[in-house]
Amino acid sequence: MSYTVPHNSFKKYFYDLFNAVKTTVVGMWITFRYVWGVKSVSIEYPEVREVLPERARMRLFNDAQNCISCTQCAMACPVDCIYISSEKLPEGAEIKKTSNGQSIRLHLTQFTIDTALCCYCGLCTTVCPTECLTHSHDYEFAQYTIDAMKYDYLAPDVKAWRDRIVKA
Amino acid sequence: MMNKWDIPGAPAEKPTHNAITEKLKTDLLTLNMGPQHPATHGVLRVEIKTDSEVVAAAIPHLGYLHRCMEKHCENLDYRGVIPFVDRLDYLASMSMEWTYVAAVEKMLGTEVPRRAELLRILTVELQRIASHLMAFGTYALDLGAFSPFLYAFDEREKILRLFEEISGARLLYNYIWIGGVWNDWTDEQLTRVSEFLDAFEPETDKYHDLVSVNKIFVERTAHVGVLSVEDCFAYGATGPVLRGSGYKWDLRKNMPYSLYSEFDFDVPVGTAEHGELGDCWNRYIVRMLEVKESIKIIRQVLQKLEPGSVMGKVPKIIKLPKGEVYMRQECPRGELGIHLVSEGTDSKEPYRLKVKSPCFTHVSMLPHMAPGQMVADFVASIGSIDIVLGEVDR
Repeated sequence: MSYTVPHNSFKKYFYDLFNAVKTTVVGMWITFRYVWGVKSVSIEYPEVREVLPERARMRLFNDAQNCISCTQCAMACPVDCIYISSEKLPEGAEIKKTSNGQSIRLHLTQFTIDTALCCYCGLCTTVCPTECLTHSHDYEFAQYTIDAMKYDYLAPDVKAWRDRIVKA
Repeated sequence: MMNKWDIPGAPAEKPTHNAITEKLKTDLLTLNMGPQHPATHGVLRVEIKTDSEVVAAAIPHLGYLHRCMEKHCENLDYRGVIPFVDRLDYLASMSMEWTYVAAVEKMLGTEVPRRAELLRILTVELQRIASHLMAFGTYALDLGAFSPFLYAFDEREKILRLFEEISGARLLYNYIWIGGVWNDWTDEQLTRVSEFLDAFEPETDKYHDLVSVNKIFVERTAHVGVLSVEDCFAYGATGPVLRGSGYKWDLRKNMPYSLYSEFDFDVPVGTAEHGELGDCWNRYIVRMLEVKESIKIIRQVLQKLEPGSVMGKVPKIIKLPKGEVYMRQECPRGELGIHLVSEGTDSKEPYRLKVKSPCFTHVSMLPHMAPGQMVADFVASIGSIDIVLGEVDR
């Protein structure tokens, strides 16, 4: 814009007209160039899915076989959405080992996460000593009732959807 | 002569008020804009009194997004507060996190590794670009231009994708931790940042041609919602609103924190190329010029980065000494202040966390800007101060 704005109101009228037409044409030309040659960036969601990054924080998953009931995740959680309870192993019971070698000295009786409360901050996964609590890549878990958002990780059917959502 | 009209029984002067003029008087119309109005940028309700098309008064009503964040933080440990400060300004979460984390680190006396500090600057400046792109896109959308919004979101998406790869989330990152950052950036990701900047820099010129100098846009924004420097001081405005009025004040330059003193960048102020200083156009152009400065800073960060640790030594359970600290940093929307009070080393929780939010200050300027504007210009004024209601209400 190297023109000097005329002060004469008659000249200014035509200058404004010229300026309006010129800047509009420049803008329309920028938009018009998107007709060809520009690759579409939108994804047709249900058919095409974006591959999530490895660190993506979606629904939590607890591998209950590796859990040592230390309750560190529940303490780190800022919104208190992890319900965990355990009891002492009976006398003489066999002490199992987790996959990274820690012994399981408590019997896990409840491990439920209220996904409706969860804020996906990832603080619980960073404190887990056995790395059994992880963020999965499952983001399609809408439910009809809010109670259905509570996921019990000791339920018998947990293995069925475990393979679907847990990261390889 | 008994009166002016020489009629018996008539009043001495012409009646100024009679039954008809009483009925014909104009009255102000109360109009509620929001909380679900697309132009109020979130759940802001502005009660405007209109005299025909002209706004006579505007009263912002807040509290639709109030989440008791400050009180809630008093029952959380210091690490657990970070997801909550994320949700203040959800378009610039990295800046929010850094301000809070810097306050805790100042009390704790933590030594942050150099690479972590540089990565923080990198992420925060990328976040500033993303936030200003959002401001640019939605502002053009408010004024009736749709395509700039799409172009801006296309570029913003690339930044969010990078953030998703390093932190795992697209908006609420929880990436900047007490003592450092959560994850390190790989060389491949840093290369992609560099490639993104190379591709993005010409795009800013395109935005300039498309919107900034467009006659329709200039007519809508120039000489609209003028705030003088004195007004800005009186209300305590910061950030692009203050700089749009022509006052050069940027905490990164004037009171350098972190490693900002090592970087070479300018503080853009309103240019008054169109309109006058302190109007909507100048506030808008300050944001667009800041994007270019952020690009400059990120290029320098990429040159300075050296391999190293990204996490300093921090105790497992953080307990702050008795005292208080006030930390303020330059966020995309202005100065964010965090006042943190600790009760002593017995407590794992903050005693008090007070947030001074720039958007709250700017919303309180609306009653000052509004009188005498057209309703359509009022929409332009709201857009130009670029508020995020998550930060206003907390």
